[in-house]
Amino acid sequence: MIIMASALPTFTKIAKVIRLNRHGCTNRPFYHIVVQKTKDNQDGPVIEQVGSFDAMPNNKNEKLVALNFERIQYWLSQGAKLSDPVAQLLGLSGFLPNHPRTIIQAWKNRREPPRERKIEAIKGIAPPLDNPKL
Amino acid sequence: MFGSSGSRVLNVINISYIQSRSKRVWVRKPLGSPMAKSKIFRITPKPVLPEDEKAEIKRLFDNYKNSMKSIRHYFFEQSLKQAESGEVAQMKHRLEDQEHERLMEENRLENEKTAMLREERLKIQAEKTQQNVLASLIKKEGEAKLHKIQIEDFLTKQMSTPFIQAENIEKAIEDALANPVNFNFALDLNGYVYRGKDTSIDTIPEEKRERLNSN
Repeated sequence: MIIMASALPTFTKIAKVIRLNRHGCTNRPFYHIVVQKTKDNQDGPVIEQVGSFDAMPNNKNEKLVALNFERIQYWLSQGAKLSDPVAQLLGLSGFLPNHPRTIIQAWKNRREPPRERKIEAIKGIAPPLDNPKL
Repeated sequence: MFGSSGSRVLNVINISYIQSRSKRVWVRKPLGSPMAKSKIFRITPKPVLPEDEKAEIKRLFDNYKNSMKSIRHYFFEQSLKQAESGEVAQMKHRLEDQEHERLMEENRLENEKTAMLREERLKIQAEKTQQNVLASLIKKEGEAKLHKIQIEDFLTKQMSTPFIQAENIEKAIEDALANPVNFNFALDLNGYVYRGKDTSIDTIPEEKRERLNSN
């Protein structure tokens, strides 16, 4: 039996993180953007849900992200850390400055040639899938 | 296979047990297990980045960290300001002020009560001290009078004793020379006194013996 660290009465402070929790099904990930204690597992107790991120593009070729900026601001003011993906999403949304990783990924994508795709590109609001990494 | 349990039990904060049915998460290969045959002679290519790219990456990350630090600080300040000015804080302030007023009022009433008691006590004390002082004064007066009377008695006694003044001196000398006083005496075990230096016991008959009086 594994007892979660947050369940035992701790007198040391455990830091809080805003990160992605994987929900959804097999081969169909869906992430909740969530505030948790660092020591907790991904599927463990959550302090507050602060958004969601759907990694699979919809039929209009969009990856939908929901963010509760007020609560994120509150938790950042209380000293919560950010995981890299969440920081990237917040940078892309404009709430925070762009994460270096987005910029690095962008120039790496521009360098490499596009790879062969088995599935046809969806035509819609977003531009077609030229870039292999997307 | 590697010895962990399949299911885990989650303890939530209010200590209710929730069963988790998610898969066992692979963290790492167990430490005692050997290297796989397909991987023994593998040499992984080290990722080489050119210097300018490294510099650019470092610059980007430094700038990002700086801005994140300042943003966090700014959010923290904003939260403090909001805490001070928000509704909850205002209500708290109002309640605190009300409480303060109530307590001050209570204190004032208590002070008044004790002041009244104190005044009564002081009045009684003042009266007592007054009486004491009067009594002591009277006593002193009486004592002074007594003292005076005593002194007068003493003086009269002294004046009445026959002092030898300048006029009486010759008469006193003649008297003294005429009546010499003999202080010599002897005592008997039976309590009889024999005065004079040269008196012998045989010369005085039994009846005329003096008895020693304790004056």
